[in-house]
Amino acid sequence: MRWLALLFLFLSAWAQSGPPPDLSPEVFAIARELRCPVCQGESAAESNAGVAVEMRRIIAEMLQQGKTEAEIKAFFVDRYGDWILYEPPRRGATLWVWVLPLVGLFLLGLGLFAYFRPKRPLPPELLEEAERRLKEPPA
Amino acid sequence: MRTWLWVLLLLFLGGLFLWGMQRNPRELPSVLARERRPAPDFTLPVLPPYREAWGETFRLSQHLGKRPVVLNFWASWCYPACYEEAPVLEALWRRYRDRVLFLGVNTQDQEPGALRFVAQFGLTFPQVFDPRGRVGVDYGMYGVPETFVIDAQGRVMVRHAGAIDQATLEKYLAEALP
Repeated sequence: MRWLALLFLFLSAWAQSGPPPDLSPEVFAIARELRCPVCQGESAAESNAGVAVEMRRIIAEMLQQGKTEAEIKAFFVDRYGDWILYEPPRRGATLWVWVLPLVGLFLLGLGLFAYFRPKRPLPPELLEEAERRLKEPPA
Repeated sequence: MRTWLWVLLLLFLGGLFLWGMQRNPRELPSVLARERRPAPDFTLPVLPPYREAWGETFRLSQHLGKRPVVLNFWASWCYPACYEEAPVLEALWRRYRDRVLFLGVNTQDQEPGALRFVAQFGLTFPQVFDPRGRVGVDYGMYGVPETFVIDAQGRVMVRHAGAIDQATLEKYLAEALP
C-alpha cells in the first residue's frame, strides 16, 4: 500500500514537470529565446515571474493570430530593444561579443606558435667557441 | 616594432575592459523614451475608490496631448521601493494636479492588497488595475516601481526605474511643463 502511495506521489510530481498544458511547446521554444525582464539570467520560458508568464501568454495569443516567430520577437524588441533577445545581434557594441573570442583564439594560436616554433640551430663556429671556453681552466 | 604592436593591443584590450567596467549594468534602455515615441494607449478598470471621480474604466488616450502625464507602475508586494515613493507621488500630485495628470497602474497584484496600499498612503490620484501586467509589457517595463513621464504632446519623455524621489520627479516635471 505504501509503495502504491509512493508511486502515486512520484507520478504526480512527474506529471507536474514540463510546460503547463494550456500552452504549446512552440510558445516555450520562442520564450526560451527571450529574456525575462525582471530575472537575472533566466529566459521567459523558465521564469515564473508575473511578467514572464504574461510574455508567454502574449506569445500564445500572437501564435494563434498566425504571427511568425520573427514577428513575435520583433514585437518584444520594439518594446524592450535588442536587450530582450538572448542571442545578441551581430552589430554595434554587441558585435564585440562575437568578434573578441575569435580574436582571442587567434592571438593564443599566434603566441603558442611563437613559443613552440622550431628554433634555428646555432652556427657551428659559435658552438665551438662555447665549448672551448668551457674547457678553459678558470682564471 | 612587434613589441609596440603588443603594447597597443594590450592598451586596446585594457581600454575595452575599463569601458566595460564603467558601464552601469542596472541602466536599462527604454526604447520608448530614447525615441520619444507616443505613449502606448490602454484601457483599464479603475480601482473602486476612484470610480466616482474617474468612471469605471480609464482610457489613457483621452488624456494625452493636453497636459503631461506621470504614469507610475506599482504593486503592493513591492517593498520597500513602492512604499518609499508613494508619499512623494501623492505630495507632488497635490501640488501639480492642475497642470499634470498622475496615474497609478497597479500591476500584477491582487485587489485587496492594492486597496490596502492606496488606503495606507491616502493616494488621491487615479489608480487603475492591471493584474496581468499587459500594459507593463507595452511600455517595456522591467519591474515595479517604474515611472514614465509623458510630455504634453503625448510622447514618452523619461523612464525612471526604481523608487523616484521628490527632486528627480520635480526635475522631470520642470522639463515636461512648458
